[in-house]
Amino acid sequence: MHILQQSEQDVYALASALTDAKKQVGLCRECYHLSAEPICDICRNPQRDSTTVCVVEDSRDVIALEKTREYRGKYHVLGGVISPMDGIGPEQLNIQPLIRRVSQGGVKEVILAIGPSVEGETTTMYVGQLLKPFTKVTRIAFGLPIGGELEYADEITLAKALEGRRELD
Amino acid sequence: MYLKQLHLQQFRNYRQQQVEFVAPKTILVGNNAQGKTNLLEAVALLSTLRSNRASSDRDLIYNDADTAQITGTVDRIAGTSELSIFLRSSGRRTVTLNSERCRRQLDFLGTLNLVQFSSLDLDLVRGAPENRRRWLDGLLIQLEPVYAYIWRQYNQVLRQRNALLRQIKKAAARGKPIAPPGTLAVLDVQLATLGVRVVRRRWRALRRLVPLAQHWHSEISGRAERLQIDYTPNLQGADEETIDRDPEAMRQGFLAQIQLKAEIERYQGTSLVGPHRDEVMLTIDNTPVRQYGSQGQQRTLVLALKLSELELIEDVVGEPPLLLLDDVLAELDPDRQNQLLAAIEDRFQTLVTATHLGAFDDRWRRSSQILQVNAGAICE
Ligand SMILES: Nc1ncnc2c1ncn2[C@@H]1O[C@H](COP(=O)(O)OP(=O)(O)O)[C@@H](O)[C@H]1O
Ligand SMILES: [Mg+2]
Ligand SMILES: [Zn+2]
Repeated sequence: MHILQQSEQDVYALASALTDAKKQVGLCRECYHLSAEPICDICRNPQRDSTTVCVVEDSRDVIALEKTREYRGKYHVLGGVISPMDGIGPEQLNIQPLIRRVSQGGVKEVILAIGPSVEGETTTMYVGQLLKPFTKVTRIAFGLPIGGELEYADEITLAKALEGRRELD
Repeated sequence: MYLKQLHLQQFRNYRQQQVEFVAPKTILVGNNAQGKTNLLEAVALLSTLRSNRASSDRDLIYNDADTAQITGTVDRIAGTSELSIFLRSSGRRTVTLNSERCRRQLDFLGTLNLVQFSSLDLDLVRGAPENRRRWLDGLLIQLEPVYAYIWRQYNQVLRQRNALLRQIKKAAARGKPIAPPGTLAVLDVQLATLGVRVVRRRWRALRRLVPLAQHWHSEISGRAERLQIDYTPNLQGADEETIDRDPEAMRQGFLAQIQLKAEIERYQGTSLVGPHRDEVMLTIDNTPVRQYGSQGQQRTLVLALKLSELELIEDVVGEPPLLLLDDVLAELDPDRQNQLLAAIEDRFQTLVTATHLGAFDDRWRRSSQILQVNAGAICE
């Protein structure tokens, strides 16, 4: 489950990101966000604060968070969540590159913004433990998450969740 | 509370059906396989969002239709509410309360409360522990809707953890054992955290239910027998007081037990510690009812449990819940029928199904609205 329900607009944004590129779209080498170039726009942008890294499940979440216009740091896209039932372990996700990225220093805060499902929670705890030796790790606050198909965060809740983030225990 | 109206569209074998409930008791009468239980199932869905016989929403939708809808109008002290569930064959649901879409199940649950009692409920006393857990969990969702969320999360963690343990087991069988991965340690913590929340709430519900059940049991059995109900969580050293005072200590205890069983769990490929293995022991005069109770004793006990459920929900919610009786009344002898009748009076709105009216005591027949159910259609 993603942190934000995909709205029609997001689908268009994603589709145009894909078609504009014309070349084959790959993943940013730095953050694993969808990108036509080896390094994506966000990673290349000198205005973005590289001391903060926000970790998300997939590229749709990057688009969602960008829409809140609250966040000025950089991202890291995991490419999924840990789910043994689906045969997805940490090795299948972009977790090692994240640890490498953060352990090199210069990152003051990692914000874990992974959805509030059981698998999202597993992933948050797993990644959090690996990152804590290197930097401050926070997670965004979803309030009382209520899984199931009924509920998704909207942009306002997402912005609030980002603001109300707290340190991982 | 009172369910005034029910509207079914493409639900089970109903195409389009409007039902008005005009008396505190409604008898749904009809041959087998006509749609009596289907109707009760629809009402139960409005209450719990769960069906205890459908494996997927697909089963709930009329033949090849893509969608179904259940709508009910409920009168409560605070006012009238309209509940609606929109089912899709894809499994995605939309639920609304007073035409407003609920984003969380929590916002919907708890509007309509009810107790279900069917002939299958004898399994509650004579069946495997799983039956008693399911019963207790269903009751808890009525008492504190947030439990629906905790319970689902616990089960999801359990499934993930079991999947991982199976992988570890398989790897060992292939002669390539893998060290327990970090993911397992995280799942241990999740299981323990949620497990303690489950156990704590099960205890809390039983603490209030047991005296009521004992009271009803002695009423029905004529004070001759002594009922005992003991909750035995699959968590050694767990006790009721500690878990309320110091849930963190409980959680540590849970984790310590997982450690103790780590070896066997990896060998068996499944989770052995936690509330998915809880038991609720029912004994009468120091004899376990499950193995040794006579059928009469078992029926009396189920009835006592159901009546205590009604009373507890009324206590907690502040209004009498509905009672759904599926095929069960005809199975009770006239004495127990009358006891049930006396207990519910006109306070608890009751929907009863039966294949013929002959089974009912006169008093039931006279005071009830009678609806005929025939091949997915209902008439007076
Ligand atoms: N999804 C469905 N679409 C159409 N008919 C269904 C569906 N599910 C169940 N039925 C029909 O409903 C009938 C069973 O209804 P039920 O309420 O259990 O009967 P009873 O009146 O004996 O309680 C059966 O005839 C079954 O074929
Ligand atoms: Mg039936
Ligand atoms: Zn990038």
